[in-house]
Amino acid sequence: MTARAAPAPLPPATTVGLLGWLRQNLFSSRGNGAVTVVLAVVLVWFVFNLGSWVFVEADWTVIISRAPLYIVGLYPYEGYWRLCICLLLISVLLGMAWRAWPNAARRFAFGFGAVMLFVGVFPHEMAPDHRALLLLNLPAIGLGYVLTPRPADVSPGRLEALAGSALSPALERAAIFSTPRRKVIAALVALVLTMILILGIAGVPGLDPVNPQDLGGLMINLLLAFFGIVCSLPIGIGLALGRRSSLPILKVACVIFIEVIRGVPLITLLFMSRHILPLTFPEDLNIDRVYLAGITITIFSSAYMAENVRGGMAAVHPGQAEAARALGLRDWQNTLLITLPQGLRNIIPAIVGQFISLFKDTSLVYFIGMLDLVEMGRVSVQGNQEFIDNGREVYLFIALVFWVFCFSMSFISRRIEGVLGVGRR
Amino acid sequence: MAETNGVHAAVDIPADKAEILARPLEERDDIVVCENVHKWFGDFCAVRDVSMRVKRGEVVVIFGPSGSGKSTFIRMINRLEEHQQGRIVIDGIEMTNDVRNLDAIRREVGMVFQQFNLFPHITVLGNITLAPQRVRHLPRSEAEALAMRLLERVGIPEQAQKYPAELSGGQQQRVAIARALAMQPQIMLFDEPTSALDPEMIKEVLDAMRELAATGMTMLCVTHEMGFAREVADRMAFFDEGALVELGPPDQIFNNPQEDRTKLFLDQIL
Repeated sequence: MTARAAPAPLPPATTVGLLGWLRQNLFSSRGNGAVTVVLAVVLVWFVFNLGSWVFVEADWTVIISRAPLYIVGLYPYEGYWRLCICLLLISVLLGMAWRAWPNAARRFAFGFGAVMLFVGVFPHEMAPDHRALLLLNLPAIGLGYVLTPRPADVSPGRLEALAGSALSPALERAAIFSTPRRKVIAALVALVLTMILILGIAGVPGLDPVNPQDLGGLMINLLLAFFGIVCSLPIGIGLALGRRSSLPILKVACVIFIEVIRGVPLITLLFMSRHILPLTFPEDLNIDRVYLAGITITIFSSAYMAENVRGGMAAVHPGQAEAARALGLRDWQNTLLITLPQGLRNIIPAIVGQFISLFKDTSLVYFIGMLDLVEMGRVSVQGNQEFIDNGREVYLFIALVFWVFCFSMSFISRRIEGVLGVGRR
Repeated sequence: MAETNGVHAAVDIPADKAEILARPLEERDDIVVCENVHKWFGDFCAVRDVSMRVKRGEVVVIFGPSGSGKSTFIRMINRLEEHQQGRIVIDGIEMTNDVRNLDAIRREVGMVFQQFNLFPHITVLGNITLAPQRVRHLPRSEAEALAMRLLERVGIPEQAQKYPAELSGGQQQRVAIARALAMQPQIMLFDEPTSALDPEMIKEVLDAMRELAATGMTMLCVTHEMGFAREVADRMAFFDEGALVELGPPDQIFNNPQEDRTKLFLDQIL
């Protein structure tokens, strides 16, 4: 007799492992089995055909030879280095984000670094200095990482533990972006620098102004969506507060604005901004269509943002406002200090969702004659006899680019939700 | 009042409070005066014709079946609910729609809720220092020192940097008490402070309330903790169907209730 307890009984062999999974999920009945087989055949047929087209028949030279057009439009070649610097700034911010919210931003920082590495070393026509600047993004991410202190609730990484106490005082001194205020200031400085670098300043050598109409490709989609969201957040908050206000005139004005803008398609608003609004301008006022598009997209987005913010604030428990009133806080203090911060936290996923949808909507600016990524794709195919048959390649590529961006953003959003959910609700 | 005076010895009581506490209840002034107060929700009369006077430093426990208007009544004392008829005077300040009166009254009255209602997006310390900084305009360092003193008083100074959700229910409620005390109110309202707590956490909150009562704080507590009421309350008020049915010392309520409804209710819960 052994003293050992009897081993736990094993589950039936057919319910575990690959076989069990197949049995449970795909072949649980005769009908399910038949559906599985039919769908599998269709799927294999589809993937095989697509794959053989992608890897054998398709001619991707159009993508490689026109890559700069798709990415930055007609931006002057002499200014490419400025865009590379912008990427470096983004890398530093990504490094900071990676350090501050490792779970949310690490893979994104890795992915960005990997793309830069790939573009930097991939054999194609590119000036060596541009290559060098792109490869510099990798240390730039590291720089942002080092400049940010490790959050208290994150345990030190393997490398950090390895470096040990010898390095830690140096690391602590290097971590200058220690408070939320400093991080925000860093982001704002990067934002302003990016704008200056992209558009240039008259009279500064090396920073020749760029004609806004030469901005195009993926860059203009990203810029419009980003500024649309960033600018529409404060406007949307204002509108939401106006809609919650007890002042009837303010309230009605905000409701009318929100409902009118939400009731009109973006493409109509763009048309009006380009062809009807200028009729009301003084004759010598000439606002470039890029700025008109930016303003229009911001206005469009802020109406949706207002409703998001309102919903987020309405979801805050009424007990919060009661506690604030019982403590003697005024209504405006309650709104600014208690309800709004909690409401905004509630809607982070909605804001990211709105950013994704706005990013896709920015391709509508082709309608007022701008060369965004999609329009650039069309022009590169139809405007060139050599590539006239390569439409499929171009549009598949464009779809892939949009998908990669949107998917990474929704990935980040889910991670941020996870980070904020811990202990803070 | 001899027995409450006995408890005082253990805790630190400001001189002005001690002077008031030294006098028997009957000789103190009324800090809360309610006269013929009514409140309706639509057609439903939630509080009908309640008149009550509370002396400075008195502890009144309010109890009664659910829906009897007891919560609504104490919520009218800091204007979370508006009374629609009758008169409420808090420490000489008449409750009107005048914002200045309202601000003054809310400075006088602190409140603790059943669901704690801590602000989840700021730390424990931030919860306590928020109102002193924003309403009383204390400098941050002073507000934080005050907050730490209060957290020590309720026994959880080590939790200062945590967020409310990281604390147990009992700890959260003690933070809520500290938060209300940080405004240095004259009166504290408790709206079923232990009803949302697990049994093992009720004691720590009641202990904090006991200690508070011993310092001479005027307290109105809606609670069903009859042990606490028997021990701490100067008077008990029984509410039923929106009306104040019976008001008297615990001894009378428990041993010799004057009203049948009081007796019936106590028979059901004890």
